[in-house]
Amino acid sequence: MAKLRYIDALALALREEMRRDPDVFLVGEEVAQYQGTLELSKGFLEEFGPRRVIDTPISEVGIIGLGIGSAMAGLRPVCEMMRMDFATPAYDQIVQHAAKIRYMFGGQFQVPMVIRGPSGVGLQLSAQHSQAIEVLFAHVPGLKVAVPATPADAKGMLLTAIRDNNPVMFLESLRMYFMKPDDLEAIQPGLSEVPDDPDFSVPLGQANVLREGKDVTIVAYSWMTIQALKAANVLAKEGIFAEVIDLRSLLPLDMNTVLASIKKTHRAVVVQEQWPLYGCAAEVSAQISERAFYDLDSPVLRVTGAFVPMPYAKNLENLAFPTEVDIVAAAKRALGGK
Amino acid sequence: MAKGQKAALDAAKYRRFYEQMVHIREFEEECLRAFQRGGHGIGGYLHLYSGEEAIAVGIIGALDLAAGDCLIGHYRDHAYALAVGSPPGPVMAEICGKYDGCSKGKGGSMHICDAERGFYGGYGIVGGNVPIALGLGFALKYRAQAGVAVCFFGDGSMNQGAFHETLNMAQLYKVPVLFVLENNGYAMGTSIERSHANTDLTDRVSSFAMNRKKIDGQSIVTVHEEVSQIIADMKKNPAPFFLECDTYRFHGHGAADEAKQTVVYRTRAEIEAAKANRDPIAIAAELLLEAKIITDEDIVRFHDEAVIAAKAAVKFSDDSPVPPADELLKDVYAL
Repeated sequence: MAKLRYIDALALALREEMRRDPDVFLVGEEVAQYQGTLELSKGFLEEFGPRRVIDTPISEVGIIGLGIGSAMAGLRPVCEMMRMDFATPAYDQIVQHAAKIRYMFGGQFQVPMVIRGPSGVGLQLSAQHSQAIEVLFAHVPGLKVAVPATPADAKGMLLTAIRDNNPVMFLESLRMYFMKPDDLEAIQPGLSEVPDDPDFSVPLGQANVLREGKDVTIVAYSWMTIQALKAANVLAKEGIFAEVIDLRSLLPLDMNTVLASIKKTHRAVVVQEQWPLYGCAAEVSAQISERAFYDLDSPVLRVTGAFVPMPYAKNLENLAFPTEVDIVAAAKRALGGK
Repeated sequence: MAKGQKAALDAAKYRRFYEQMVHIREFEEECLRAFQRGGHGIGGYLHLYSGEEAIAVGIIGALDLAAGDCLIGHYRDHAYALAVGSPPGPVMAEICGKYDGCSKGKGGSMHICDAERGFYGGYGIVGGNVPIALGLGFALKYRAQAGVAVCFFGDGSMNQGAFHETLNMAQLYKVPVLFVLENNGYAMGTSIERSHANTDLTDRVSSFAMNRKKIDGQSIVTVHEEVSQIIADMKKNPAPFFLECDTYRFHGHGAADEAKQTVVYRTRAEIEAAKANRDPIAIAAELLLEAKIITDEDIVRFHDEAVIAAKAAVKFSDDSPVPPADELLKDVYAL
């Protein structure tokens, strides 16, 4: 077991897959000569050469189209979005093309590609670079949507995504990228550990019980998983034992793990960074009420971002997305507190 | 094509091209009749290729599909499938939403494809197929395969941002994509003059420093001879090429605006003049008769056989079941 930063776990998975499979290549803005905006692909150009590590113009439609066509022809492109926000100009290529090609041609083609990049709220990046847009993709049949929270999942799920025969939207947590292993270990021992096995993989569509508890289930993903673990630590000091479930992927969505937990705790809080209406928490909450209504002792509660474009000013930004404080408060409400 | 070159034409090939064009025309006309008659299962959109046959036939006829050349189209796509050699029955069955359709009835008229023969399908978003062509060409280059990917699109596509991102990247990376503009003068009901600030569409591409040419898309000989040379050059020195084929569509944008077109955007006289003077089949007949590549009897026979083949395709489709209900949820994901 190595203790890794999230960004290093991602780079490790990508490098190992490129070493293993000559059909895997990396294409995106500043990935080669600049070595990645955040240095994720540091050393990649040197190791794999310009044929497989490809700098592009600022042309997301072209990047994704290049990925789709080459994937249909049998390659395994990894298309990097400098930030996942920049996938929006290519929404047509992703949603109207990549997602639908298999179905609308009756199964004659497959599109094995990964579209990945850092995502999420905060860091004073303001309205256009700070948001959680995963549900814009999770709504669409034909796509898979991965939202790993931990270094181990970052590595294991990226490996799985690259080997998957479908278009996978892989939204990484920018807030997690540079978190030090020691800081993660302080939140929960083992949180930064990544198995050494180069074939270590984590399936898409399997939620993970990151912390066991009996009083309330907290469902989260990506950066909010870390907030939920911090909240569970606070609650434990007050004698409330929260079970924390990391969804890990939104599509496929593993509800069975969530429902099994609710059978035990009878209470649920669902946390997300994104805007409240029609979000992941709404979906999870609806499925709980449809499938586990009689297991519940209190209404399912949602903890979400505010329904606003992200403000820049630090004080306003702090009000715009949930923190462990909001999660603690919601857990107590679910348990009958005020 | 200069007179002196006619003698050099490959007779067997041009007989086949002529026959293919006639079959495509009769297939499309039969589609329109079936649509208007009703009862065959054609719903939604139906875009017909009549008037533009020389482009698909002349260009696809220059490809070595078995060796890895490939193509991608837009929603006016029946002809591409027929030109790569897809049997007409499954193409018609797809248009009619039948289970024996090439896409199992799930795609319809706009999403015909033939993976086995290198036809990567028709797409319904104007310009949306163009970036994908970049990827098809990229894969050839990545594997150091001496092939080309052909991308068919219309004049409307050139006003989408996707087009410009793609052409820039294709030229930057020297990807072997042959971009074929089928300029039929109208993006649905909007003429070139009403939608392009520069109406010389080949000139619009000059900013990408890409090799380019404008040709008469109504002459099968011009199209095929020009494209054969272009493709040979592309295989020797991989790079993209932009080819504008000047053409005209004889029907409305879609079968549904067959009546409205002459009210809102073009005149009946304009259409009739094009049918009289710019019909690629009539142009080919005249030239190939003169070159003694086909005879008057051939013309009659090819036409009659094409009519029979088109009706047989409808019969094939009529005899095919609709997709079973359990198909609804299949093919969303690959295993």
